[in-house]
Amino acid sequence: MTVTPFLSIKNLTVKFGGLTAVNDFSMDVMPGSIHALIGPNGAGKSTVFNCISRYYQPVSGDILFQGTSLMQTPAHGTAIRGIARTFQNLELFNGISVVENVMVGLDAALKRDGKRLSPRQMRLEAEAILERTGLADYRNEQADALDFGHQKLLELSRALAVRPKLLLLDEPAAGLRNREIAALDRLLVDLVRKEGLTVILVEHVMQLVMSISDGITVLSFGQKIAEGLPAEVRQNQQVIEAYLGREGGAAA
Amino acid sequence: MPITLPAKLGSLAVALIALIVLPHLTTGYVVYLANLMLIYIILALGLNILIGETGQFGLAHVAFYGIGIYTTAILAGRFDVPFPVAIVAGMLLAGAIGFLLGAVSFRMRDIYLALSTFAFGEAMQWVFKSWDDVTNGPNGMRIPQASMFGFRITNDHDAYYIVLAVTIVVVLATVALMRSRLGRAFRAVRESEPAALALGVNVRLTKVIAFTLSAVYAGLAGGVYASFSSFIHPDSLGFTTTILVLTMIVVGGLGSIAGAIMGALILGLIQELLRQAPSYQEIIYGVILILFMMYAPKGVAGAIKARFGRSAAK
Repeated sequence: MTVTPFLSIKNLTVKFGGLTAVNDFSMDVMPGSIHALIGPNGAGKSTVFNCISRYYQPVSGDILFQGTSLMQTPAHGTAIRGIARTFQNLELFNGISVVENVMVGLDAALKRDGKRLSPRQMRLEAEAILERTGLADYRNEQADALDFGHQKLLELSRALAVRPKLLLLDEPAAGLRNREIAALDRLLVDLVRKEGLTVILVEHVMQLVMSISDGITVLSFGQKIAEGLPAEVRQNQQVIEAYLGREGGAAA
Repeated sequence: MPITLPAKLGSLAVALIALIVLPHLTTGYVVYLANLMLIYIILALGLNILIGETGQFGLAHVAFYGIGIYTTAILAGRFDVPFPVAIVAGMLLAGAIGFLLGAVSFRMRDIYLALSTFAFGEAMQWVFKSWDDVTNGPNGMRIPQASMFGFRITNDHDAYYIVLAVTIVVVLATVALMRSRLGRAFRAVRESEPAALALGVNVRLTKVIAFTLSAVYAGLAGGVYASFSSFIHPDSLGFTTTILVLTMIVVGGLGSIAGAIMGALILGLIQELLRQAPSYQEIIYGVILILFMMYAPKGVAGAIKARFGRSAAK
């Protein structure tokens, strides 16, 4: 029995001027899985994310989400369709409070459901999400007053508030301490196994990637060089040369 | 020391009573000044939506104010349209032109947006000055005596309660707006367009709405001004006035309703003190603007918030 992929990237090519950032890239992500997208810096991982969230327009290729192309969806329509993301270099709403950052995410979920909540209910819902990600104590802080690790967690909280079906996480563990990475690991496993979320993870912390991923795709210079189960990818000679051997070999 | 809710409500009540008894205790000049300040509050709240909340440096605010004044004056003066209807028409026309300006300039940002909207403001002043048949050109135009809801406005005292009521409604509506989904969308666009898009905010539409609403506020301010003023001269609708309103929201604290109100009062007073020295006005506003941007970017509201905790401002 075959399962239709939840997200299917088909022959995606992205160019910036003369530079080909992603070349004929295909990838399938199964529903309810954690799929890691790894590769050296500049391999095109974030570019793939920017295509899924419709921020970049590929020169060719297609992206199917739940069997329907995303190419007609505007960038502001992806959250409504159930895709949420975080950013590698943080794109928080710095000048407003932590809880209000999360409320912007809730707005997207409410827009999808065609519902409205009172300001008080909004706040309570946002605080419940912050409780879950461990940021409840900081809810009234201005977002840019948090340290880097907490800002990463705030981006995750804001994305969760969208109540996404597909979550794109761009280096969520960067800047986190080991204890926080363990908590993130538990949270992600919880979201996927218990709530049926699908996650695509771009990450350099191999300890996290290897422990929670169901499948791994490896990008190098815009090309897919390997794909498979964590154990398979770890053994792949090309991957070891391009990436793991140099940077993450010890951790893996 | 945070400000408690009873203390806040108490001071609001005192302020309201003071505003209500004000015309009975003072002279016509003070009431005229109060009317003007209330107009400034509406103007500042409108510009704050565009610049303070949404982060779009539109510098054509005075153009929409002028559109509101002239539309109201012409409809009421030449076509005998009832004043409230004329004011609403001025608001809508300002909003429509604001929408068009927003729709052509949402692609621009920063200095390009500032320059092109500045140019639009200058062009509108030229229209006010040169379209003799409609605006009476550089001679300025007489504004007819207003009458609203069967109540003639013959002096500043008569207008005061109407202007005050309109301003209070505008302030309350603005507070509700800023707590709404749209208010959050404004701030999301200001803080990060990529994140706003990823969270389902239609960035272009949100910018156009901010332009439109900001123009509607200015148009309303113009219409209400026309209800108690007897004359409008296009010289008063130049860039200095936009800078004055910009200085108000910077001094008060960008993105803060309380800040816009405080800034309108502070700069309104300064402007009145400088009435005898119009040539120094621009320099003084410029200096105030620079000093605040350098040393107090969050303005008076930010300073109060830092001093008394977060419940004080906003």
